Amino acid sequence: MNFFGLTLGFLTLFIIGLGFIWVIRGERYFGYLWWPYVMGSGILLMMSSLFIPNIWVSALLGAFGASLIWGSTELKEQAIRAEVGWYPFHAKKILPPFAKIIEKWKAPHL
Amino acid sequence: MELNTIGLIAAASTFLGVWFGHVAVRKVEFISLTLWLPTGTFTIVGIILEWFSLSTASLSFSVLFGILGLTFLFDALEFTRQQNRIKKGHAPANPNNPRHARLLVEYASASTIDLLKRGPVGKPVSHKEAIRLIIEHL
Repeated sequence: MNFFGLTLGFLTLFIIGLGFIWVIRGERYFGYLWWPYVMGSGILLMMSSLFIPNIWVSALLGAFGASLIWGSTELKEQAIRAEVGWYPFHAKKILPPFAKIIEKWKAPHL
Repeated sequence: MELNTIGLIAAASTFLGVWFGHVAVRKVEFISLTLWLPTGTFTIVGIILEWFSLSTASLSFSVLFGILGLTFLFDALEFTRQQNRIKKGHAPANPNNPRHARLLVEYASASTIDLLKRGPVGKPVSHKEAIRLIIEHL
């Protein structure tokens, strides 16, 4: 029996679960315009996993990177969920650098 | 230096698993006449994938099936959560699906409108405004 994948599966579910929390909290206090930075961080983490010799650390880094990329595509919808009152709305957001430029881009959603 | 691809495989499995689950749960729940059939199917597929993951000697396949299998098992639970979203009006109901048509009658909050299909406006909006924004977006 090879328990490597099953164990990583559970750890990945935990990482995805964390994603629900940071997407909600992150959007509330920072806003959805951070999405390119979150996506970029996810891609960087995923690529850096290639250079980690330890299989557990490499796999967890990859899964975390993927969850950041996924979360970045959820931020825009989360902003709307807060606007319609399904989640608390926080008006004073800490906007990212170049927010005005990012605002003109179409935020991704899958 | 030799590259370790296990992280990339874990990343691809995670992203594809979440993406597929996210889309499939919404689409299948929208048209399915019952919840037990997709829930049961996803549970069985998840268990089979976990069995593959446990049986293979390859670390790469073990990770691929291990992560995909667990996302399928989680999706099995998501069908019930998606139906709850329909009841609350947080996801659009399908009036052509008899199960959803019943929910539309039983739950005043259930609606056929997808309130998320627009861009953010940066301020809280009332239900009436939210619907107006959706119509403008169409």
